[in-house]
Amino acid sequence: MSPALRAQVLVGAAIVSAAALVGIYLAAGGSSYEPEQVQDPCQQRAWSNPQSLGEIANQFSISALDGAACQLGVSREELAQALATPEGRERFTERYGIDDEELARAIRAGLLRAIDDAEEAGALSPLIGGPLRSTVEGIPLDQAVELINNARSIFGGVDGLLGPAADLLEELLP
Amino acid sequence: MSDGAPRPRVVALALAVGLVLADSSIVVLALPDIYRDLGTSVAGVTWVLVSFNLVMALAAVPAALLARRAGPGRTAAVGLAVFAGAGLACGVAEELPTLILARCVQALGGAAAVTAALELLPASVGSERRAATVWAAAGATGAALGPAVGGLLTELVSWQSIFLIQVPIALVAAVPILAVAKHEAATGILETELRRTGRPHLLANLALAMISAAIAAALFLLVLLLIEGWRLTPIGAALVVTVMPLAAILGSRIGPLVPSAKARAGAGAIFVCGGLASLAYLPKAEVALTLPPQILIGIGLSLVLSALTETALGGRAPQAIHGGWTISARHAGVVIGLLALTPIFTADIAEQRRDAIDAGTAVILDSQVNPLVKIGLAQRIGDQLEGEEGKVPVIGPAFEPLPEDPEERSEVVGLREELQDQLDRGATHAFSPSFLLGALLALLALIPIGLSRRVEL
Repeated sequence: MSPALRAQVLVGAAIVSAAALVGIYLAAGGSSYEPEQVQDPCQQRAWSNPQSLGEIANQFSISALDGAACQLGVSREELAQALATPEGRERFTERYGIDDEELARAIRAGLLRAIDDAEEAGALSPLIGGPLRSTVEGIPLDQAVELINNARSIFGGVDGLLGPAADLLEELLP
Repeated sequence: MSDGAPRPRVVALALAVGLVLADSSIVVLALPDIYRDLGTSVAGVTWVLVSFNLVMALAAVPAALLARRAGPGRTAAVGLAVFAGAGLACGVAEELPTLILARCVQALGGAAAVTAALELLPASVGSERRAATVWAAAGATGAALGPAVGGLLTELVSWQSIFLIQVPIALVAAVPILAVAKHEAATGILETELRRTGRPHLLANLALAMISAAIAAALFLLVLLLIEGWRLTPIGAALVVTVMPLAAILGSRIGPLVPSAKARAGAGAIFVCGGLASLAYLPKAEVALTLPPQILIGIGLSLVLSALTETALGGRAPQAIHGGWTISARHAGVVIGLLALTPIFTADIAEQRRDAIDAGTAVILDSQVNPLVKIGLAQRIGDQLEGEEGKVPVIGPAFEPLPEDPEERSEVVGLREELQDQLDRGATHAFSPSFLLGALLALLALIPIGLSRRVEL
C-alpha cells in the first residue's frame, strides 16, 4: 500500500468510526437522555379511578399542590419539596420573596381547587364539598401545609376536621 | 556533553519529562477528594489543575532560553529540585490557596526540567530526531498514565500522596543530571546559538493548543462524570480511564505506518472529536458506554499529539526553544479548555440537578405509596439534598429503612430506582454541552492542521 493510500485509509477510518459511534449513541436515545420534564401545574391533571380512601387522599393532595403551585407560579414539585420541611419552606419563601400569609393563601386556593377537582371526578360528594370549603378557607398556614401533605387527615383521621363526614365519604367510594 | 554514563542519563531525563508532564493530569482523579477535603467549589478546585498548566504555558519558553544561557544540566537539576520542593509543599498544604501557590512553583521547576531535558537528550541519544522522539514519548506516557496513577494513589493512600511520592522520584532523576551540570560549570555555555533561534511553527502549535483543550475536556469531564455524577470511587474511575492510555498505545503502533504527519494529525483530531461527541450523547448512565468513546480519544490523541509535535519541532533549531513552544501551546490549550468548560459545566450541573430532583419528586408524588410514607421520604430526601447542596445527591440513604410491608417495600424500592434514574439522567446530561464544546475544539483544530505544510523529520 502506498503512503498516500495509507494516509487516505487512516483519515477514512477516523471519519467512519467517529460518525458510526455518534450515530449509534444518537439512535439509542443519546439526545433525549435527560430528566423528564414536569407538567405545568395550571393544567388540569386527570384523576385516576381511586379505589380507596388513601387513593382519594393522594389525588386530593396532588390537586391541591397543583392549585397552590399554579397560584405561586412555581412547579408542583418545587412546592412539594418546599413544604416537606420547615427549613425548605423558609428557603422557598426567601427565594421568591413571599411571606407566610401569601403562601397560606396559595395553599388554601390549592385546597379549594382540589375540592373542585374531586367533585368533578365524582370522588367527593357536594354534601362534603361544601363544609370542606368553609373549613379550608379559614385554616392557618401550618394546618394548611399539614393538609396538603397528608390529605387523609381531612377525610378519615380520628382527629380529622370532618370527623363524621369520613363515614359518608367511605360510602361514596366506588 | 557525552561524559558520564549516557543510559542512566537518558532514563533520568525521560523520567523527569514523564513525571512533570504527568503532573498536568495526575491530580484529575484526586480533584473530587481535594474538593471535599479543602471544602472548596468545583470552580475553585479546577485551579489546582489550571494553575499548574497556566504557569507551564507561560514559563516553558523562558525556561528553554534559561536552559541555553545557564546550561541545560544546571537548569534541569535546579528545576527538578524546585519541582520536588514544591511537591512537598503541595503534599502538606491544608488550604486551597497554599496548594495552588505550591502548584505554580512546581510548574516553574517542571518547565525548566522539561525544556532543558530536550536540550540534553541529543548528546545522550545521538541525534536531535531521536531526542525528539524520546522526549515526546516520555511526555505522552506521563500524560496518559497520570490520571490512572493519581486515582490509584488517591484511593489507596490519599490525594496528598500524589505530590509526596514525586519528591524522591524527582530527586533520583536529578542525580545523573548533576554530572552534566558539573561539566557545564567547567566548560562554559554555547550562548552564541541563541541568535540562530527560528520562529515557532505557528499552525502546528495552534492546533496543539486546540487539541490539548479538547483532550483536557475529555479527561477532566469524564473523571468528574464518573466520580461526582455516577459516584464511582477514584480507583474505579482510574480503572475506567485507563482505557484511554491503552488505546493511545494502539494509536502509537498505527502512527508509524502512515508517514504523513498531516494525515495522522487530521485523523487523530477526527478520532478525538468523534469520541467527545459520543460522550455528549451517552444513551444511558453506564460505565461500559464510555469505553468506545475513550478508545477513539486515546487513539486520536496519540496520533495527533505526536504528529503535531513532530511538525512543530521538525527541522527547527534549537530544539529546546521549539520544545518550549510546544509545551507552552499544549498547556495553554489545557488552561483554555478548563477555563472555558468549567463555568458551562458548573451551571449545567446545577440546572440538571434541579430538573432531576423535580422529575424524581413528580415520580414520588404520582405514586400510590401511602401518603405518610411519602411525607417521611420527602423529609429525608429534603435533608439529604440540604446536606449535599450543589452536588449530585446520593439518594439511597433517604429510603432507609425500607417499609416492612412487602407490597409497600417493593413500591418504595421502585421509587428509589426511578428517582436514581432521574438523577443519573440529570448528571449525565449536565456534561453534554461541555463534551460537545470539546468536540468542536477538536474539529476546529482541523483548520490549522489543514493549512500547515507537510513537514517530515
